[in-house]
Order: sequence, then structure tokens, then C-alpha cells
Amino acid sequence: MSARALARLAPVVLVLAAGLSACGGDEEPAPADTSQTTSTDETAAPEDDATSTPTDDATTAPEDDTVAVTVTREGGDFTPNGERVELGVGQTLVLTIDADEAGELHVHSTPEQDIAYGAGTSEHEITVDRPGVVEVESHDPDLVLLQLEVR
Amino acid sequence: MSLTSTVPAGVGGAVSAHGLGGAKDLPIPSELAIAGAVAALVISFTVLAVAWREPRYDAATSGRRAPEWLDRLVSSTALTVAARTFGMVAFLYVGAAAVLGQDTLINPFLGTFYVLLWVGLVPASLLLGPVFRAISPARTISTLFSKVSGAPPGEGLYAYPARLGYWPAAAGLFAFVWLELVYPSSTDLGPVRLWCAAYLGIMLVGSALFGTTFLARADPFEVYSSLVAKLSVWGRRDGRLVLRSPLANLDTVVARPGLVAVVAVLFGSTAFDSFRESTAWLGVVQEMSVPRVLPDSLALVVFCAGVGLVLAAATMATGVTDSTPRRALPDLFAHSVVPIIVGYIVAHYLTYFVEYGQQTIIQLSDPFTRGDDYLGTADLQVNYWLSMHPTFLAVTKVVAVAVGHVVGVVAAHDRAVRLLPRNHQLTGQLPLLLAMVGFTVGGLYLLFAA
Repeated sequence: MSARALARLAPVVLVLAAGLSACGGDEEPAPADTSQTTSTDETAAPEDDATSTPTDDATTAPEDDTVAVTVTREGGDFTPNGERVELGVGQTLVLTIDADEAGELHVHSTPEQDIAYGAGTSEHEITVDRPGVVEVESHDPDLVLLQLEVR
Repeated sequence: MSLTSTVPAGVGGAVSAHGLGGAKDLPIPSELAIAGAVAALVISFTVLAVAWREPRYDAATSGRRAPEWLDRLVSSTALTVAARTFGMVAFLYVGAAAVLGQDTLINPFLGTFYVLLWVGLVPASLLLGPVFRAISPARTISTLFSKVSGAPPGEGLYAYPARLGYWPAAAGLFAFVWLELVYPSSTDLGPVRLWCAAYLGIMLVGSALFGTTFLARADPFEVYSSLVAKLSVWGRRDGRLVLRSPLANLDTVVARPGLVAVVAVLFGSTAFDSFRESTAWLGVVQEMSVPRVLPDSLALVVFCAGVGLVLAAATMATGVTDSTPRRALPDLFAHSVVPIIVGYIVAHYLTYFVEYGQQTIIQLSDPFTRGDDYLGTADLQVNYWLSMHPTFLAVTKVVAVAVGHVVGVVAAHDRAVRLLPRNHQLTGQLPLLLAMVGFTVGGLYLLFAA
């Protein structure tokens, strides 16, 4: 094999070497330090955080201008299962969560909203301030419970 | 940590199951979807009835010479080096975020990869021509290697096998869309980084073996960008820069084996992206006892293969002349689906690109999530004008789909009158026309139902 051909093989060798060393190195770092994940979402303005404030007593009955939805959790089973719910921009969705164990829901609006719920029945409010389809998802198991059609 | 809105532990995992970006677009109103579908039908048969009967586009003669100074500028070493430098700097900058940055959704690597690169290469190529080719880090590194080793630039050890054509690019594109749309950890840094490393490795080895021809045929981003660039006004004839109408430019796409597969993956995957979020599919997959990745993978394959098979069948269902074998027809007509894809991609990704693209530009100032402001963009705010005007958005989407459809139908018509025997020129293009109407109406239906 000529020197020129050998020279052209250099990238192949380099890439293989880099690939092998990368594979070797990849095993060391832990997958993710999820325990300390700190999301720094610039758009998470303070006023948006207030929208998902849990209200743990059921005394505030849904008023006329709200939409009420009940979510039930039994073990890993959730209802509803990806149901569409129509909601107005700025309208309040009152989410009643009836769960046999604590967990967390994510509201995939922009910015995201999180709802932590405990075992038992709890009531939470969601508002979305821009038109769009917003998924309400459970984490672990990952399931889409609701799709809010906000207009 | 300077800027923090504390989010409880474990959020990374849940968000990643969802993909990048928050709220999705509202479905388009039914009246608009129907109007679009009717327009597609009417336009199709009007084109068939009134369009020219002699082929109009010819790569060898079409196009007007660009002004001399522009040609000189575009072909200049300075511009080439500037584009390559930009590509490499961006690659190293985002690469640093990928390797050294934190595994959070605001790591700009993810937004750059999924939004600025993948979606952004469509508008960039539409406006400027084959941009990815000009900035491609794989091409730059490969060129540097051949400079250093003294090998003739662009040549490899072997000739690129002609019958492979664009098949490797189709495989690469499929690997990308699977990662983006199906893989549950698509927004975890590790797997995406691994994907990119594998991509770069394959490109470098391939270009060492087969020369830069490998990059032109197998690099998914370069093939995608160069294909979309055929809808721009920029072309070359005998090495000179020319200005062409997008239709004439589209006709210069060289049909190679696998072109139809490239087109099928691009269209099928975008349709799948709409479909996977539909309530019906959600209900089905979430009831299943198997992890979602299995039915989703299967559905993605079905969408891509389905589009490919429909195209192949529709283009081959015609009488042929001796000079063009029937088997060659799918690749010879595949270019005409590119405008339909671009129209649909505009409809599908417009908000995502505009709004998450801005978000990514903001994030790019802080690649290591330390509160830095390297590019001076950290304090910008995302403009959500587009989301706030859903009617404007819906109309734009339908117009984009309809325009794509017109361009596609005209391109297919011109190819048909060139290739098909005279007595089959009208009937021979009917199946493809119907397939195109099907794609467009199907795309509109998904925009309406998803």
C-alpha cells in the first residue's frame, strides 16, 4: 500500500480510536444527576408559578367560569387517558386529583407548570395564557392524561 | 446557580418523554382544512388539463446568469472559508455545551440540534441554496484531513458505489427521526451526543473511503439541505451561478437510487409526528402493556414505508417507453414530492421553529447553565406573536400546504410529458396525481385532527 493510501486511511484510524476511547469513557459518568436537576427556565416568570398553586381543601367549589376535570389514579392506572378538554385563554381549569399515592403532573404549557399531589383527594388550578394544545402528563409512569385545547 | 426557578427532582425524565417545546399548535379549523383539500383537487386537475404538453424545464439550458460580482463572491475562497469557519465554530461551541454542559432541557445543544439545525436547514436552504454543504463540519474536517495527508481533495480510496445512491442518507434520516420522535430519551444529553458522535464518525470514515461524494449522498443533513435547496432560486450550470425559477431548479434534481426513500422518510416522519399526538393514537398506545417505543417505532416505519410504497406504485402505474425502465420511475419522479414535503414542514414546524428557535438563541448564551451571557442574547424575551394569532397561523399553514402541492403537481407534470410515451402522458400521471392529492389531503387532515 502506498504512503498516500496510508495517509488517506489516517482519518479512519483516528475516528476508530476516538470512538473506542469515547465508548470506554462513556461508562463512567452517571446517567444524570436527577436528584439535583435544577431547571433554569428563563421564561418561567414568577406570575406563572402562581398559577399552579395547590389548594388542598375542596371548599372552593368550581365557579361558573371554570372547567372542572377529575383525574383518578389507582396504582399505575390513570383516568382519563389522553382526553381532549377545551379551555379558554386565561380560564381556570380546576383539576381534582383522586390518587392512592403521591405523584406529580406536568403541564406542558410554555413555560411548564408542575403539580405535585399527595395521596387522597386534592384540588389544583391551571390556567394557560396562550392559545395552543397543552398536554397534562403524569410522570412515572409517563402517560398523557389530558390535552387542553386552549383557544 | 444564579437564575433558578426550582423544579422538583426528577423533572428531567418526565419532560424528556415529551420532547422539546411546550404547547403545541391548535388544530386548524375544519373549514380551512376542507378549503385546502378542495383547492388541492381543483389545482391538480387544472394543471393536468391546461398545462403545457411539451417539457419545459431542462437543466442544461435553464436559468439566467447571475451578475458577475455575485458569482465571484459566491465562488470566492473568502466566502468558502468564512462559511466553513462559521460551521466549525458553531459545531465546537455547541459541542462544548454537549460535552461539558449540564443534562437539562435548557442546554442549547438540544435546541440547536433539533430546531436550529433540523428545522432551520429548510428555510436556510430555501433562501440561500445548499447551505449545509457549505458549513458542514464533517465536510470541513474531511477537507482538512485530505489537505494534511496530501491526498487529492474530494477523492477517497474507492469510488462511491453508484447503486447505493441516496440509500445511506435515507437510513441516516430515519435514524434521526426515530431519535427525535420515538426514542423516549430523545432530550437526554447522553443519547443525543452519542448519535451525533456516531454520525460524525460514519461521515469521516465514509469520506476517507469514498471521498466527498460520500457526504453528498450519505450525509442526511447535506442530502436534505441540498434537496430543499433545489426549491431556491440558486443553481449552477457549467460551474456558473445561475438564477432559476424554483420549478426549473427542482427539475435539476439528479435521480439516484434511494431518492424515493429519502422523500418517503421525510414526509412519512412528519406525518407521523402529527399522528402520534392524536387522541386516538394516545388512547391506543397508553392502553397497551408494552412500552410506547414499540408501537411508535412500528407506526413510524409504517408511515415511511407506506409513503414510499404509494409513491412507487403510483409512479410505476403507467405505460413506459423503451428508454426508461419502469423500475427507474419512482426515483425519477421523487423530486416532485419535495415541494409537498416543504409545504407540510412549514405547516408543521412553523411555530416550533420561530418560538423554540428564539428560545434556543437565548439559551445559546449560557451553554453551561451557569448564568453566562456569552452572546449577549441571554436577556432577550421570546416573542409569542405567532401563537397569539392562531387564525393567521392556520391560514399560513394551509396556504403553505397548497402552494407546495401546486409546485409538486407542476413538477410531476413536466416530468411526465418528458418521460412518458405520448399516449400515456395524461393517464400515466393520474395515479401520481391522486397519490399527491392523497398526501396533501392526509397532511391537512392530520393538521386538523391532531
